Amino acid sequence: MKKRRILSTIMTAAMFATTLVGCGNSSGGSTGNSGGSAKKDGVQEITWMFWDDLNATEDAISLGFKETIERFNKDYEGKYHVKPITTNLEEYYNKLNALVSAGETPDVFIVSPGPQLTDYVEPGVAAPLDEYLNKDGWKDTFTSDAVFSQQTYDGKIYAVPLNTAAACCFYNTEMFEKAGAKVPTNWDEMIDTCETLKKAGYTPVTISAGTAWCLSMVAGYLCEAEGIELPKLADGSASWEDGKLENVCNKLVKFSEYFQRTAAGDTNDVATANFYNEEAAILIQGSWVIGQMNGANPDFESKCGVFQFPGVERVIAKSDSLCMSSTTKNPEAAAALIKYFTDDIAQKYTAEKGGKIPVTKVQYDASVAPKQLGYVMDVFSNAKGTFGFYNESMPTTETGAHFDDTMVAVFLGDMSPADAAKDMEDYYKANCRK
Amino acid sequence: MDKMLRNKKSILVFMLPAFILFTLVLFIPIVQSVYYSFCEYKGMTAPVFIGLDNYKALISDKTFGIALKNSMFFLIFSCVSQLIIGLIYAAVLTNIKAGRNLFKNIIYLPCVLSSAALGLMWMFIFSPKLGINQLLEKMGDKEPPLWLMDTKGYITLPMWVIAFVALWQYVGQSMMLYMAQISGINKSLMEASYIDGCTKVKTFRYITLPLIKPMVATAMSLNAIGSLKFFDLIFNMTEGGPNHKTEVLATHLYQQGFKYFKYGYASAIGVVLLVLCLLVTLFINKVVKTEQYEM
Repeated sequence: MKKRRILSTIMTAAMFATTLVGCGNSSGGSTGNSGGSAKKDGVQEITWMFWDDLNATEDAISLGFKETIERFNKDYEGKYHVKPITTNLEEYYNKLNALVSAGETPDVFIVSPGPQLTDYVEPGVAAPLDEYLNKDGWKDTFTSDAVFSQQTYDGKIYAVPLNTAAACCFYNTEMFEKAGAKVPTNWDEMIDTCETLKKAGYTPVTISAGTAWCLSMVAGYLCEAEGIELPKLADGSASWEDGKLENVCNKLVKFSEYFQRTAAGDTNDVATANFYNEEAAILIQGSWVIGQMNGANPDFESKCGVFQFPGVERVIAKSDSLCMSSTTKNPEAAAALIKYFTDDIAQKYTAEKGGKIPVTKVQYDASVAPKQLGYVMDVFSNAKGTFGFYNESMPTTETGAHFDDTMVAVFLGDMSPADAAKDMEDYYKANCRK
Repeated sequence: MDKMLRNKKSILVFMLPAFILFTLVLFIPIVQSVYYSFCEYKGMTAPVFIGLDNYKALISDKTFGIALKNSMFFLIFSCVSQLIIGLIYAAVLTNIKAGRNLFKNIIYLPCVLSSAALGLMWMFIFSPKLGINQLLEKMGDKEPPLWLMDTKGYITLPMWVIAFVALWQYVGQSMMLYMAQISGINKSLMEASYIDGCTKVKTFRYITLPLIKPMVATAMSLNAIGSLKFFDLIFNMTEGGPNHKTEVLATHLYQQGFKYFKYGYASAIGVVLLVLCLLVTLFINKVVKTEQYEM
């Protein structure tokens, strides 16, 4: 009896101990408090979070990032080592936010400028980078101070842009030629072109409403054409119900007649694949897609033309930017890593292989760069200015998402154009205006 | 029994691990969630008490309305379909000898597989460019249904598709519970009913069914709670889309918490979910009146 009692006590103690072990915090993990805490043989490990799987991707830009990481690890062997944390784009911010909330912010992470960057700047998750940018003339390597305009808060720079991309209309020149379609210069011509392509048996436009911002990007251009002014809407001096958004929605509904049948559920990647697999004639997308298209189907480069979204004078431009965690234990290593992404080797790769516009003064060989980059540069030079993605130019991330969802609802027929305008106005009144 | 109960030390020692575990992983997080639901909490800064604002916002949140409707649909569909089909499987399999174990394992197998992996598998099967639609196109259907993309109707087609996939995955669990209960029924009761002239259907109706009622209540409660908390299949098959049409409470909670950093609001959704689970369990236990028979 006594033996049994001792045995049961030992068993209980063992159970209790294993419970505590389970509840304990693992120490020494590579993503411990703001990464960087692990130190193996004197090597500081830093974490870098990105929205593509570097081992599975065919995207030329992502592959360039992989090369940069490998170059950094080789150059700093024995001192620093970068451990990438990767996920798909759709899940990126969810995972990053979960890590931030758990106190495990990656040392360096990629982020889009606008309210998404604000989400990390305001609570102090992202660190100011001026100290590092001003050292050794790093900041002077950039084309101008204007490249930091979307990354600056109260005079401090919180993220470093890596490249610039413009949202353009990519088209299949072969399909256009066979159908006898012309490159449109205004909205009516755009509809005519789509009609011509449709009559010739082609799917005129491939787009993703499953990834709502893709459809919203088109809506953003239509808003620009209508002269919608977001700052005035935010401060209440203009109303969404002034008829402009209704016009935008009517145009969107008309345009949607030329979308592929599965547009409602297709993701961004699927819609893009429809284009480079030659299942549709037009893709409206950011020029970051060049790296994705040419990586997946190199033969398509010669058939791919680019034109500016018709009826607007400015282009939507965007830059991927890197932030440094304010709690990183290795700020020097993190800054050095960010610098690697903007050095001449990385920036030359950005243009020559990735097809994106570099942010530094690097000289690159335009003859070896993807043909589409030249067309995008033409669009840029002909445009009278740039503006941000609509959903990223609104007061908060959630407001941008609401705009995206509203545009998708109009496309799906769940909301009339008038209701969409009222819905946006009500949302702004309730959430954006003080 | 009295002797055992007198040994307070042993009782304490044996209960302590479970009590600590329950407190750490269940009770404290629940209390925290309830508190956060009354706060504006972004995860990175301290929570600020805002009273019932999060709950008021839920009322005007259209996506929450869709999510609640879809969760209730899942709840009703799962409870009814798993009850009926689970019972049929259990009744049939307890009455056959050849192949009983084989069929039991085949039906139960999806329960032990990863829902995330199954979700991806079914997503590929219902993809417009793969699986079923390719077959339908070869059979002459030029515009096969968009299984996971259609947005028409009060309950959209993707919701029905996911509900059937969930039924396929979890019906084995209900079947096993009913089979366990049926196999516990004394055979002499069945034999007596046959001698009295009962058919197999009548025996099932008047002997088996009343005797497995307690298990029906348990299985229905498990189904109800499981379907209210439903997340993984939906997240992997549609991610709540197109345009939130297949959003359920758990996916909406996830989006609000991790996409928009609205932990306070997400906690309010969590509290609603918790209250719904409690109410549904109470309702089932009230409706399915069970009497204890000697089997």
